[in-house]
Amino acid sequence: MSDRWPKPETPPVMPAVPAAPAHVTLSSGFSRRYTGGRREFDIVATSLRGVIRALDAMYPGLGEHLEEETTVAIDGAIHDAPGYFQQLQPGSEVFFIPKLEGG
Amino acid sequence: MGHGVEWLESPRRDEEAELPEYWAFAGRTATGNRQGSAEGSQSGIPAGADKDLNLSPRGATLAYDSELLSAIRRDAVNDVSTTRYKWVGTRPIRPDGVPKVTGRAMYGADQTFPGALYGKVIRSPHAHARIRSIDTSKAAALPGVKAVITGADFPDHKFEYIGPERVAVNFWHVTRNVMAKEKTLYEGHAVAAIAATSKEIAEEAADLLKIDYEVLPHVIDVDDAMKDNAPLLFDDMITRGVEPTPTKPSNISKRLEFAIGDLDKGFAEADVIVEKEFKTAAVHQGYIEPHATIARVDADGQAEVWASSQGHFVVRALTAKLLNLPIGDVRVTPAEIGGGFGGKTVVYLEPVATLLAKKTGRPVKIVMSRDEVFKASGPTSGASMWVKIGVKKDGTITAADGVFKYQAGAFPGSPVMNGCLCAFAPYEVANARAVGYDVVCNRPKSAAYRAPGSPISAFAVESVLDICAKKIGMDPIELRLKNAAKAGTTMIYGPKLAHGGYIETLEALKSHPAWKAPLGPNQGRGVASGYWFNGGGESSATVQVNADGTILVATGSVDVGGSRASMAIMAAETFGVDYQNVRAIVADTASVGYTHVTGGSRVTFATGTAVVNAARKAIDDLRARAAMIWDVPVDGVIWEEGCAKPASSNVGDFKPMPLKEIAAKAAQTGGPITAAASVNAGGQAPGFASQFCDVEVDPETGKVTILRFVAAQDVGTAIHPSYVEGQIQGGVVQGIGWALNEEYIYDKNGRLDNAGFLDYRCPVASDLPMIEALLVEVPNPAHPFGAKGVGEVNICPPMAAIANAIDHAIGRRLTELPMSPPRIRAALDLPEAAD
Repeated sequence: MSDRWPKPETPPVMPAVPAAPAHVTLSSGFSRRYTGGRREFDIVATSLRGVIRALDAMYPGLGEHLEEETTVAIDGAIHDAPGYFQQLQPGSEVFFIPKLEGG
Repeated sequence: MGHGVEWLESPRRDEEAELPEYWAFAGRTATGNRQGSAEGSQSGIPAGADKDLNLSPRGATLAYDSELLSAIRRDAVNDVSTTRYKWVGTRPIRPDGVPKVTGRAMYGADQTFPGALYGKVIRSPHAHARIRSIDTSKAAALPGVKAVITGADFPDHKFEYIGPERVAVNFWHVTRNVMAKEKTLYEGHAVAAIAATSKEIAEEAADLLKIDYEVLPHVIDVDDAMKDNAPLLFDDMITRGVEPTPTKPSNISKRLEFAIGDLDKGFAEADVIVEKEFKTAAVHQGYIEPHATIARVDADGQAEVWASSQGHFVVRALTAKLLNLPIGDVRVTPAEIGGGFGGKTVVYLEPVATLLAKKTGRPVKIVMSRDEVFKASGPTSGASMWVKIGVKKDGTITAADGVFKYQAGAFPGSPVMNGCLCAFAPYEVANARAVGYDVVCNRPKSAAYRAPGSPISAFAVESVLDICAKKIGMDPIELRLKNAAKAGTTMIYGPKLAHGGYIETLEALKSHPAWKAPLGPNQGRGVASGYWFNGGGESSATVQVNADGTILVATGSVDVGGSRASMAIMAAETFGVDYQNVRAIVADTASVGYTHVTGGSRVTFATGTAVVNAARKAIDDLRARAAMIWDVPVDGVIWEEGCAKPASSNVGDFKPMPLKEIAAKAAQTGGPITAAASVNAGGQAPGFASQFCDVEVDPETGKVTILRFVAAQDVGTAIHPSYVEGQIQGGVVQGIGWALNEEYIYDKNGRLDNAGFLDYRCPVASDLPMIEALLVEVPNPAHPFGAKGVGEVNICPPMAAIANAIDHAIGRRLTELPMSPPRIRAALDLPEAAD
């Protein structure tokens, strides 16, 4: 961009501090395989890493499956692969859905 | 075709007076709509500003198009892009143009090395057979033959589904698709490979191979493959996704189900319910360039592969995995690619050539013939579907249900999940269900093809919606607008849609003057829409600022659809330098960071983000160099319009220092100026497309002529609008082929009857009108310039749009693809039936 770089008014990026837990939903197939059918969780976390760690603590090994086999939607925005760096807002809706591939 | 002005002025069909507005085409004239468009524009762009629009060569007969397109483009590209940016939204000359038109571009088959051997793959003549034995001794003994390999030479892999669920790769399967072991599962399945000093010797050696086959019953059709008594491809295949787990094996690899709401309640609320069954044919991606590779393995075990693919990092990963090599021992250099469309995201030849090279110590080159491309590389699935939709009289969709059965080919992994997820995605439907089946059959393993899975289910859903609109007497665009998904709509797979763009595509069609233009005898008009997720993910880029101020941008994305131009545009915009000073290249796997395939409409979004991030890093370095030259703190230097400038007068009285001047002092200020960036890009926005077409059906021959095709698509920000239009036009043309002519035709022995472009009929330029691409720009805030993927969703609507137009023209609902002349003739021989 030909506009000024860096932008002087850019505020520092601070991790969000959630006032409400993130609402996390797994696909039915995933929950059938790994969580005994439980699909929905409320998890306090500032990033997706926190969600994955919490789920892995509840269901050991689940974290790796989530990282390798899912696409994640955070407040509707699709991310091809769950990344530790993806930030959550208070009350974020997190859906782990089957991995998508294109042509 | 003579369908210009006289076509617009031809008399309306007799029955139109009895039908509602859309079905009667009692609408405005082209002139009236043109005036409306012009009045609606607030752009203030001076006359002639649209002179670079890509207009129909039939512009003389489509006189209103220029103003209409310019109105849309004024609202879109001109206002959104070029007024904000210097380079984004412009149409500079493509950097790959001269090598391609002068024959210098190096495609897969063009690379060679001294001493290279000719590699030949020997393929099964049977659709389904057990390999009792292969005797290679006579072939191997032939002078000039350097190696013969079979499936036994490839390491085996554990039977497990790993990785992404849709493609859930099972390397036990993958290695058997590259080279059969126990059984051959389709005609053309590789069973052995030979490396020889000449083509003639390799072919002679092939004749000396003794392969003892036990021919088995085969199954081609997906419905037949699901029957209880169907021949089984795998004796131990138990359907996944079914509870309780079945005890009996079948050809159904997997069952999927996605659902929201209450279907019974939804259908109970409907005034009209329409349900229908559909079938689509397997179609090939039809890339012009056959698969080709050359590989060599040095004495130290270092392997190098040159290949035409959509992703050389994936070629590296799969080749290394299949041959049990460390990834670091394999280097892959991408060739120029002559089309892929999803079909070059997998490997066929590369592991074979690498293994032959390892055994012979010499480079080995393998090039598929067209016959092999059709028989042994992945087409997309054919399918059998059932769709049921309920609507109220006011057009509200109350419920939608569908069963989608997709051919996977010889091994599991059709795109049926995508088909389920995308089927109803353009619509806000409170009660919906999509059930999918992944079914193996004796065909080549399916591969990705442009929005894999989505066009198939869209054909069924968009056809049923057309029937619904007709039954309730509603304009089909209005029906779609009434139910259009938007930001906040809950999708069948769970989350709410984060980003809109669909409504804008429908509005673009609705305001097109031809939407209400009259039609002639045997002519009809149809509309349809489509949805595709678009992709993001891992990409890498490096930038180098050269001593003369020129800039090199290297990425790991194979340039299939013009990405070198787009990357150069985005880099030029970020640096604030001229496009002509930026050279973009595709680097090999040893020269740039990991980058996922050029597929899923992900490159402009993900790799583009990496390029911008790398450029910003380089700019930070350039600021630091300028600060050093001026001897001021770096915080006192900003970057603007391609120059370092003092942040304020307090910093000092310095003239802006152009990039070129800073580059010239690189040695004095710390050495070469380079930067690299890698991303796992997320937040890509989905793609929506809406299209309408006019057709004319010849009642004597059944031939369908496409008279007009208007394709609107939300493209985010068009970085290089000509390439975006090209993507839309290409997707539509492939959709037209899928709709009207293309199909895999098998004989009773399960052998492909039409493995060549003479008999597998892709549309050519003389079959087509100019495709009018309407760029609708709803920028994606997750990309530095608002880009969205544009490569795929355009292939989703054409099949239904054409089926709907045919129904409109002749009163016959075609439910099976292709809608070829024999099928049209057969339909015309039947009485016109109510839908």
